[in-house]
Amino acid sequence: MVGDMKVGVKGDEIITHALGSCLGLMIYDPVAHVGGMLHAMLPLSKINPQKAAANPFMFVDKGVPILFKEVYGLGGKKERLIIKAAGCGSPMGKNEMFKIGERNYTVLKKLLWKNGVLLKAEEVGDSISRTVNFDISTGRVTIKTGQEKRLL
Amino acid sequence: MKQSRKREIISKMKSFPSMSGIAARVLKLLDDPDSSANQVEQLLKQDPSLTANLLKLTNSAYFGIPSKIGSVRHAIAMLGWNRLSKLVIAACVSAITDRKIPGYGLPPGMLWQHSVAVSVTAEGLMRELKVAQSDEIFTAALLHDLGKLILGGFVEQELDEIEKAAARGIPFQMAEQEVLGTDHAEIGALMLESWSFPTELVSAVRWHHDPDSAPETSSMIDIVHVANVLCLMIGIGIGVEGLHYVPSVSATKRLGIKPTQLELIASQTLEWVKKLTDAM
Repeated sequence: MVGDMKVGVKGDEIITHALGSCLGLMIYDPVAHVGGMLHAMLPLSKINPQKAAANPFMFVDKGVPILFKEVYGLGGKKERLIIKAAGCGSPMGKNEMFKIGERNYTVLKKLLWKNGVLLKAEEVGDSISRTVNFDISTGRVTIKTGQEKRLL
Repeated sequence: MKQSRKREIISKMKSFPSMSGIAARVLKLLDDPDSSANQVEQLLKQDPSLTANLLKLTNSAYFGIPSKIGSVRHAIAMLGWNRLSKLVIAACVSAITDRKIPGYGLPPGMLWQHSVAVSVTAEGLMRELKVAQSDEIFTAALLHDLGKLILGGFVEQELDEIEKAAARGIPFQMAEQEVLGTDHAEIGALMLESWSFPTELVSAVRWHHDPDSAPETSSMIDIVHVANVLCLMIGIGIGVEGLHYVPSVSATKRLGIKPTQLELIASQTLEWVKKLTDAM
């Protein structure tokens, strides 16, 4: 679901459909077996502060810190977290108007860098739609485009 | 081969029974300055499911009518002629786009969500860009992907070939053209033309992926084009083809739109869609 965040514990599975330009961010603690996923639509909340107050998960800059806090709340530890990103696609061509996916990715990288954490894996960019399946028991992240599935 | 395929697709299009006869007659009446509210009401009474959909849409939070509308007569009085006509079309579109669309990989309901999303996004763009509000743009946006209803089955059969063509770096609708001899925008436009929709609206549907190829540019084409790309980007109605389309640089220049305006609209689209579809 666009503009949403879900956290889970062992036995849970989190799925998000149809990531186009949106960012899908998955974080996982392999010892505590807890994790969470964010599906954010836009890079910066200053574009619509009122909306950000009602739904912070719509924005990368507001949603990412909450995702981390929620996973810490379930027993996740920062130093153990495995962080993966998917989505941030763009339409074809060179139209600068439609680079929301790239801007989502840039804001994410800045946030992670500031907080001293790194992406373990990513599948971002291109003009494709991605559905992400996140198995909290194993930490396994599977991306599906059409009928094609791959592990991230 | 391609030509015979195209003929086959067009003959399927001609037998497509989607637009209820009543709806077409209602739209004709609404277009006729001499017709009366009473005539419209009498005609709508003959199609209860269309009328039910129409009233649900009228009462949706999107239009913000404070009192509950329970009758066609009341709806006509509250909405006025132009808005009524776009809602009659919306009621028809909801009835035919709620199914699964093969080929494009759209689950049931997704094409309806996408059609609504592009319509409300187009209205948002008109407000943001201070383009004169036009009910026809809303309608064109609602109908822009109608061709997918016909073409879906053919796309499903030839998906491998179409995807191979697209993988060479051409947009998806051009890959459809290459393999099938036509594309969903062209088929949608042909359907609407055969139902006598206004030329400018037909043109907006025809060129929604390629506004620069239209014989005459128009803000209607450009707005539907931009609204469609934006909705796909935020995942509403994105199918197997993903974002394999090229947004026109000239169209965004003609509209004079800025990236921040697009993002502001995108931040509101989901709420507008919810307001319009929650009632259904």
